[in-house]
Amino acid sequence: MAIIKMADKIKLKDSEALYKSLFDNTIDGLAYCQMIFDARANPVDWMYIRVNKNFEKLTGLKNAEGKKVRELIPGITISNPELFEIYGRVSLTGKSQRFETYVEPLSRWFLISVYSPQKGFFVAVFQNITDRKRIEKDLADAKIAARNVLEDLQVDKEELAHVRAKDEAMLASIGDGVISTDKNGIIQLFNKAAESMLGIKEKDVIGIKFNEVLFMENEKGERISDEDRPINKVLFGETTTTTTTTTTTTTGLSYHYVRKDKTKFPAAITVAPIFLNRTIIGSIEVFRDITKERSVDRAKSEFVSLASHQLKTPPTAIKLLMERILNGRVGQFTEKQTEYFNDIRSSNQRMIDLVNTLLSVSRIELGTFTIQPIVKDICTVLSNIVYELTPAIENKHLQLTDACSKEGSMVALDEPLFHMVINNLVMNAINYTPEGGTIRIESRQIDKGQTLGGKLLTENCFLIVIADTGYGIPKNEQSKIFTKFFRADNAREKQADGNGLGLYIVKSILDNCGGLIWFTSEENKGSTFYLAIPLTGMRAKVGTKQLISQKYGRK
Amino acid sequence: MEENKNPPVPEQSSVQGKIKILIVEDEEIIRKLYVEELRDQGFFMLAATNGKEGLEIALREKPDLILLDILMPVMSGLEMMDKLRAEGGQYGKTVSIILLTNLSASEEKIMQGVAKNEPAYYLIKSDWNLSDVVEKIKERLARKE
Repeated sequence: MAIIKMADKIKLKDSEALYKSLFDNTIDGLAYCQMIFDARANPVDWMYIRVNKNFEKLTGLKNAEGKKVRELIPGITISNPELFEIYGRVSLTGKSQRFETYVEPLSRWFLISVYSPQKGFFVAVFQNITDRKRIEKDLADAKIAARNVLEDLQVDKEELAHVRAKDEAMLASIGDGVISTDKNGIIQLFNKAAESMLGIKEKDVIGIKFNEVLFMENEKGERISDEDRPINKVLFGETTTTTTTTTTTTTGLSYHYVRKDKTKFPAAITVAPIFLNRTIIGSIEVFRDITKERSVDRAKSEFVSLASHQLKTPPTAIKLLMERILNGRVGQFTEKQTEYFNDIRSSNQRMIDLVNTLLSVSRIELGTFTIQPIVKDICTVLSNIVYELTPAIENKHLQLTDACSKEGSMVALDEPLFHMVINNLVMNAINYTPEGGTIRIESRQIDKGQTLGGKLLTENCFLIVIADTGYGIPKNEQSKIFTKFFRADNAREKQADGNGLGLYIVKSILDNCGGLIWFTSEENKGSTFYLAIPLTGMRAKVGTKQLISQKYGRK
Repeated sequence: MEENKNPPVPEQSSVQGKIKILIVEDEEIIRKLYVEELRDQGFFMLAATNGKEGLEIALREKPDLILLDILMPVMSGLEMMDKLRAEGGQYGKTVSIILLTNLSASEEKIMQGVAKNEPAYYLIKSDWNLSDVVEKIKERLARKE
């Protein structure tokens, strides 16, 4: 019996030592406490009977043994009432519990496992899980942040999809055809309007070089070569600056798109390069079917032609009648009768001149008039025009000097148009200079960079100056002198007839052929008109009509 | 005085010695004035009111010179000129034609017609006096001889 007892005693001692070492060395914190209750059996405090080594490490509380928690951790009742509740319950019921809690006075999170070895007592085994909690929180925060980003992205995605859908809807609704290519001419975009105008489906052209699926012809039905294609000119053109090739109804170059069914239509095309960081990454073309515009233009032209032809018939008859009458072919007349017949004749001539002028104006406005320059000696042409006007000059007893320098005087001119311009300017000088006045015409070559009459010349020109000692143009009316139908007040006063279209036509001719016209003038002193034709000549213009000059000499 | 639209059986003395001119013009007054002025100048005058009539008379009477308007009913001046040059034999190919019209010469149709059929002149009616036209006629006839 003693042996068994001894074995038991040893066992007990061994197990005691085991437990002690376990108690002391476990990584967790251990606290063996007695629960304290108030008069109403509410848990209000506990006393630390025994704590292990790690208790201090984990809680930061020193010399806890023998102390009550309320004195050890002030404020614990307010910050962690659940501890009292749980410990109280566990120590009474013996039911163990495992929980996490944040102890604010210690600023730590604990995972606590509490059981009761004996009623009124409890053992709390705990770990400091503050780090874990922080990580968990960070993770939770990260999750929320990620969710927010995802939501934002989703919104962005939806917005993008929406914008994209809007763009596609816009593109599909654009009435004009839109085609875009990459820098090699491969078609990337082909809108609905392009599909319907050309009779080709988008899927059949995307990814293919434009000149392999889209064909163009000129008016005569000849295929337009690749170099002449607008897209080509923009993508591979020599100029590195922005090139936009436009074809409109008034230029001679006529581009027609060929539909899938081989029919064709005239198109107005604008192609522009697409730039990204200064390099061309592609081209974008917008085009329109201008069949209707073309036919309207043609109809307008034809109407004007016909109308003016019809309008000139009765005055022509009157002109011829007056000629025969005044030549005495149908009898003799009194002086008064002859005077009236002369009046009829001059009024009639004015009407013919007006119709011709209106016809010219409409040709200018329709853009249908032609400029066909041929190299001529300006000096010779000028002196011919002046010679034709000699009667008018002598009539008003004016002095006209004409000095022309031969150097550089061979210039490409459209003679009829040049004639119109000079005629008009000199006739104005004659009409608006009182008797006995002078008109000076001076012509010479002039180099670019010089300033004359307030204007800086940007290229080498042949300059013609027509200066008179006439009524001049009032300062406040000078800006309108080239506008349609404008006549200065003093001009109106001095000369009843005049339709205000002459200078408008002159300016239009010059604008269209690359020339310049300007003037300086002072009321009652005179006017000086400057006319500059580039030495490279008048610029040619394709057109179907000519402007009509007045036969000033023949009245 | 009655306007003679069709070539007359000459009431005047024989045509011999007088140069024959045909005017093809649909406007009555203008036609009358040319006929009267040219007659006063000593020419024998024939007149037609449209291209079809003009072609018939030209082929039959073979005038020395034709004054031709362009815009006319039934057949235009350009068409008549075409047909005359093509179907008129040696006469049709060489007869002097003066186009007298109010239409601008730069119409493409007109330019083509002019280039092809070589009229002697293209004159704008409203710009030219009778006496100027008479001068041009005389000039042209003189050159032919």
